[in-house]
Amino acid sequence: MLRELHAYMRLTREWDLRYEKMFKTGALSKWYSSVGNEATTVACGSAIEKGDALVSLHRDVGAILRHYVNIEELFPDIFPEKMSLVRQPLGGDSRDRLFRLACQMLGREHGFSRGHERSYHYNHMEPDHGLIHLGMISHLGSMIPVAAGAALSFQQQGLDRVSINFIGEGATSTGDFHEGLNIAAVWKLPFILVIENNHWAFSTPTSQQYACDNLASRALGYGIPGVEVDGNDPLAVLEVMQTAVKRARAGEGPTLVEAHLGRHRGHSEGDDSLNQVPSDELKGYLDNDPMDLIEARLLSSGVVSRAWLQEIKERSANLIMEVVDEAMAMPEPTPNTDRNTYAD
Amino acid sequence: MPTESKILEENLLYIDALSLALRDEMREDPTVMLMGQDIAGHGGAFKITRDFLEEFGDRRVRNTPIAESGTVGIATGAAILGQRPVIEMQFADFITCGFNQLVNVAAKMYWRTECSVPLVIRMPGGGGMGAGAFHSQNIESWFLHSPGLKVVAPAFSDDAYRLLRSAIKDPNPVIYFEHKFLYRRERSDLQEMQIPDRIEGEANVRREGHHLTSISWGWMTHRALEAAEVMEKEGIEIEVIDLPVLSPLDLSGIFKSIEKTEHAAIIHEATRTAGFGAELAARISDEAIWNLDGPIRRMTYPDSPSPFHKGLEAARIPSVDVICDGWREVLA
Repeated sequence: MLRELHAYMRLTREWDLRYEKMFKTGALSKWYSSVGNEATTVACGSAIEKGDALVSLHRDVGAILRHYVNIEELFPDIFPEKMSLVRQPLGGDSRDRLFRLACQMLGREHGFSRGHERSYHYNHMEPDHGLIHLGMISHLGSMIPVAAGAALSFQQQGLDRVSINFIGEGATSTGDFHEGLNIAAVWKLPFILVIENNHWAFSTPTSQQYACDNLASRALGYGIPGVEVDGNDPLAVLEVMQTAVKRARAGEGPTLVEAHLGRHRGHSEGDDSLNQVPSDELKGYLDNDPMDLIEARLLSSGVVSRAWLQEIKERSANLIMEVVDEAMAMPEPTPNTDRNTYAD
Repeated sequence: MPTESKILEENLLYIDALSLALRDEMREDPTVMLMGQDIAGHGGAFKITRDFLEEFGDRRVRNTPIAESGTVGIATGAAILGQRPVIEMQFADFITCGFNQLVNVAAKMYWRTECSVPLVIRMPGGGGMGAGAFHSQNIESWFLHSPGLKVVAPAFSDDAYRLLRSAIKDPNPVIYFEHKFLYRRERSDLQEMQIPDRIEGEANVRREGHHLTSISWGWMTHRALEAAEVMEKEGIEIEVIDLPVLSPLDLSGIFKSIEKTEHAAIIHEATRTAGFGAELAARISDEAIWNLDGPIRRMTYPDSPSPFHKGLEAARIPSVDVICDGWREVLA
């Protein structure tokens, strides 16, 4: 289980490192890094299945990769046969999804929005494989009601599917946080809202964002469970999420999860917002890098060797380099002004 | 050979046309669901969904908390995944609290993602009843300025019925303005008809004339028809065009009429500056100015909130006299 979670976390880390590098060399105009969020996002993506709705934000590629990709299919030779899996993969073409995701990041014609929308602001649906993924708009918190609406569609159809949505702690200050969560609670929608609390919203610390001790306790005001969890511990997050998902599938309604994790990067690459984080606080975050923590755990339990960790790291980095290069070579979108605004 | 079409309902009240359309769509399509404040047991502030709870159950007829943004957002999410939600805004004015969900999430969704959002928001709007600044507004322009939304504003019961059903079938978000002043005043026969599964632009000639083309929608079309009677006595024939659909816009019907009358005026109950009349005047000016033999005149509400006192309000809504005077100036 730990090995499976780790593999997706590593793929996610290498994904971000690649784009961070491209940003630095000027090959990319903007990047929002998810370094430091991998334990939480991969664990959340591990708690859902085919037919569930994933509604993501800009630091949730861990959940996206976990949902889109079958890592055993990508690296067939480095996992033990019949590795016991936390969840079943969706089916479909993992590598093609990875390639199209890279095209999406780079605004290429083969991206999910064919160059019309930036990075993670897209939807991707594969009805045949039960893939339902709604991306974000820039207005933080706005997707909370929309994700609850996906849960409503499941309830209307009598399906035992769930919808999960991520927000940062900053978006808990929005009206949509309250309205969406309240309606979801009143209607007992199969909805899980995960707050990735990295304690800094752009440059604003939690002390200037909210006056309560923690955000999970806000759940009390909605009559739903609220759980705080160490967001650097994928097993702890997974357990919390599995309980929430089970509850949602059973028709018992939403759960609010607050995952505490660290701020490792600026709001976006190239801004200086990380300067606002006091150096000892930042050191605390960097010393608790979820990637280091899970690798230490794997090594100490004797499940894998240092060489294996190095191998999967290289394989992940190479694969991502490969798909990004392929995406870079793809055509730019043809200029147009008439993309359909209305469905026919 | 023209066929006699069957009359389904005689003298159907506008408000009953809305109930009937909702009921017929809900019976036909199990994915249609209603959401709104006090719409379930109470049947809504205007009783349009009275008895719906009993017939369709509490899954399909849902009271919402007072949360317009949450409601529009939830409906949008459900619509993307196959439901056909119809939201009743208790008053059109309240949509301001759900504006971001509407113009940024729902309206842009198809363009951004190619996921369609079959959503209808019913908007009881308009003045004439001394309901004050927050229960009387005509806010169609806000949505006409937001690509991705269709905007409907029927003046007649038969259009109201047909267009509400089409709006529900349409795969796009539709803002459906229903005029409160017409609820219990407008009656027309409902004939057996085909219900198109899309909202298309319509410019309907409700009265033929050859001196001036008058363009209006909602309550103001009734005012225009009244004013046209007055002008007839002066020997002036007004062509009254009603726009039950504002977006998409059928300009060709307007241009065709102007070619004949060579004069145009626009009447709207909405406030003046950047009202839809300004856009219509600009379009006519862009594409049909050589057919005109006079200025394009707009008779509108002034740039003012709606007062409570009926007399104060009436002074602001284009009256028959104001409309006739406006037309006379165009024709002078």
